[in-house]
Amino acid sequence: MDRFQYLAVMAACVVVTLPLEFVLGARVWRRPRRLLASIAAVSGPFLVWDVVAIARGHWTFSERYTTGWIVALDVPVEEVSFFLVIPLCALLTLGAVRRMRGDGSD
Amino acid sequence: MPEYTAATLVAMTVAAVVDLRILRTRLLTQSTFWLSIGIMFFFQIFVDGWLTKLSSPIVIYAAEHASGIRVFFDSPIEDFGFGFALILGVCSMWDALAARERRRGGHP
Repeated sequence: MDRFQYLAVMAACVVVTLPLEFVLGARVWRRPRRLLASIAAVSGPFLVWDVVAIARGHWTFSERYTTGWIVALDVPVEEVSFFLVIPLCALLTLGAVRRMRGDGSD
Repeated sequence: MPEYTAATLVAMTVAAVVDLRILRTRLLTQSTFWLSIGIMFFFQIFVDGWLTKLSSPIVIYAAEHASGIRVFFDSPIEDFGFGFALILGVCSMWDALAARERRRGGHP
């Protein structure tokens, strides 16, 4: 199961942040179109950066802790999951903090 | 300057300029945003640390392409600049889209 470790960390991030939506009322999951549009707009350029960084050898991935599944251009599926999950966690945090502080921005 | 270090500084600058000049969300002036990013950085220490710890790294960084400054659980310090750009970018897009929906009289 070691090779699922990176994916497991990303899955844990999704699960652990669910209460931000369903307990604290972050209102991010319930705006799926805005959520997808925001993530796509930002993760697109970051994936381009990832492609270049991988091609230039800035970083590589442990064969032991990753699945070896490549989406395209040497980018592992784990990296794609990272760029879906981490922005989601960021929006949930911002949304939850706003609700807690009664900050109306939404 | 190592390439990852330079790329990180460029990304931080681009994220800030896009927010201030194009999307104009005022996020960078809101204490709520800075509190949120502080919370996210706290959790990044552990999530990123799990990916980068030198005892059993999942992501392996080429020494010649980074500053070599490692913080907390061996995370390259650049990762926090990368995080800043990613977090600011997505929050900024979110707020810009929300503002556009309000202008169009859509969602409350």
